Amino acid sequence: MRQEIEITGLNKSFGQGASAFHALSDIDLSIGSGEFFTLLGPSGCGKTTLLRIIAGFEEPSTGVLKVNGKDVTGLGPSKRPINTVFQSYALFPHMSVADNIGFGLKMLGKPKSEIKATVAEMLQLVRMEAMADRLPSEISGGQQQRVALARALAPRPRVLLLDEPLSALDLKLRKEMQSELKRLQSETGITFVFVTHDQEEALTMSDRIAVMSAGEILQLGPPEDIYNAPVNRFVADFIGDTNFLTLRVKGIENGEAVLELPGGKQASARLPNSISPPVGARVTAVIRPEQAEPTAAGQGDMQAVVEAATFFGTDTHLHLLLDDAQGFVLRRQNRPDQPAPAPGAKLGLSFAPGALRVLED
Amino acid sequence: MAKARFSITQLPGFGLIAIVTFVMLYLPIIILVVFSFNEGVSQSRWEGFSLQWYQAAFNNTQVRDVSLRSLWLAVTASGLATALATLAALGTTRVGRFPGQTMIYALINQPLMVPEIVTGIALLIFVAAIKVQTGYTGMGYLVAAHTAFCIPFAYLPIRARLETLDHALEAAAADLYASPIQAFRYITLPLMIPGILAGFMLGFVISLDTVVITEFVKSAGQDTLPTYMLGQLRRTVTPEMNAIATLFLALSLVIVTAFFLITRTRGR
Repeated sequence: MRQEIEITGLNKSFGQGASAFHALSDIDLSIGSGEFFTLLGPSGCGKTTLLRIIAGFEEPSTGVLKVNGKDVTGLGPSKRPINTVFQSYALFPHMSVADNIGFGLKMLGKPKSEIKATVAEMLQLVRMEAMADRLPSEISGGQQQRVALARALAPRPRVLLLDEPLSALDLKLRKEMQSELKRLQSETGITFVFVTHDQEEALTMSDRIAVMSAGEILQLGPPEDIYNAPVNRFVADFIGDTNFLTLRVKGIENGEAVLELPGGKQASARLPNSISPPVGARVTAVIRPEQAEPTAAGQGDMQAVVEAATFFGTDTHLHLLLDDAQGFVLRRQNRPDQPAPAPGAKLGLSFAPGALRVLED
Repeated sequence: MAKARFSITQLPGFGLIAIVTFVMLYLPIIILVVFSFNEGVSQSRWEGFSLQWYQAAFNNTQVRDVSLRSLWLAVTASGLATALATLAALGTTRVGRFPGQTMIYALINQPLMVPEIVTGIALLIFVAAIKVQTGYTGMGYLVAAHTAFCIPFAYLPIRARLETLDHALEAAAADLYASPIQAFRYITLPLMIPGILAGFMLGFVISLDTVVITEFVKSAGQDTLPTYMLGQLRRTVTPEMNAIATLFLALSLVIVTAFFLITRTRGR
């Protein structure tokens, strides 16, 4: 795949000397042409700073940024083939929807007829034809979102940056815009770089995700890898729900760790390449709540007592207490013929093969 | 538990105080307006309706001269002050933090705090020295003094307007390939217009109104309407003054209404 954005050795600090704040440390990153790429992390992790550097609103302290093979480090935002959808939308309040969408083309000095045609095309693309003459204050939040998208897409940028664009919308509208964004991306073929702190949004929309914390990229990969094989505790905790178990290593077999489970049974767990814990060491192992199956009491890999059950519609979360008093959350799909066990009930747990995984730290 | 919203209108005596306040504010003005239409010379005894004092005012060339001078001075000084205040507001809200910023704010707004009489005396001494040195006695002194005096009044609404403008708007313009000048021309300036108009009108009214500074700075034959009226009042008070004051009042009402209409349609 051709690389659209290449970032090498990028650092960013604010302030000087001892009080300097390192917003980004040693970022190396390549984003492929036509990719839907997501920067995911909690607030303050540096994802917005990275986006602003790509856009040209901030200069990196060190490092090089290339767009389509061309070094753009040091160029201002108006000199880059990149457009941004701002978190606040930043629609020009004194201009009509059509004038907002046409602004970029007008600044590029395109002829009036071309601007008119592109604006009409963009209005159609985001299904806002009827609103062309309205002011931004006269349309709803979801519609403003669409106009902001159309405005950023109209000059046909190589890369579209989206800074938490859905955070101001309510849940239903957000779901709608998520599929809308996917549709726009596949229709235009433009590279999308999407910033969010919402892990579900990242998982459902992205081709690849970079999970960030404290100015570093902790893990980079497709959503499935990030979810199924988190590299460390932070990623495992931030993406989805996870059970953390502290377990003792009984041995290493075929590159997998054999762990002693509460209650005495053994189970093998996948090991990251980077580590091989000594026999007898205590390690942290993770397992997703939906990757364990409830069984009859006395059977399965572990035994547990139900402490509480929370109903979620499609499934029920069972809060369990294991034999060695560690907590465990089990996600059990609801079926009319199988009511969820009541608090106090005993049950067994069995793991799907490969569900258990040892973490680095 | 949400408490019932406190409302000042429920306090005992609220209505009474409100009525007394409005009477104190507007009754003298109403009386002034009423007696501008009085047939006789009295300010206290109604002798019948007449427009003779308006006629007298219009036929009084001195009144015409000072009125035109006042208007010219107010437009010029307020225009200059608004231009300078616009630059000051852009400089203090759009270039990021810089050392001494708080000091600059204080310096720009200080004239609001300094008693006008102090400014007046200071200007008197300063202007007198320059007059001696240069021999120039034209309107330049009044223009300069009024401009300086109007700047903080013009600055406040312009800065307030700029502060409500999302910086992301200018960032968005730059992102959409606008040069800094284009971003200012197409985004910042049009959005500043209500603030600039408010600043201009405030400066205009302040300049039109000020007596103290004009009194201290003016040379012979440079009376403005307020200083002229003050001079006239030292002799006899005729309803001609009422008529002039009423016209003044009408002018300020027109300005306030125009301002309201402009900001209502442009201020979104």
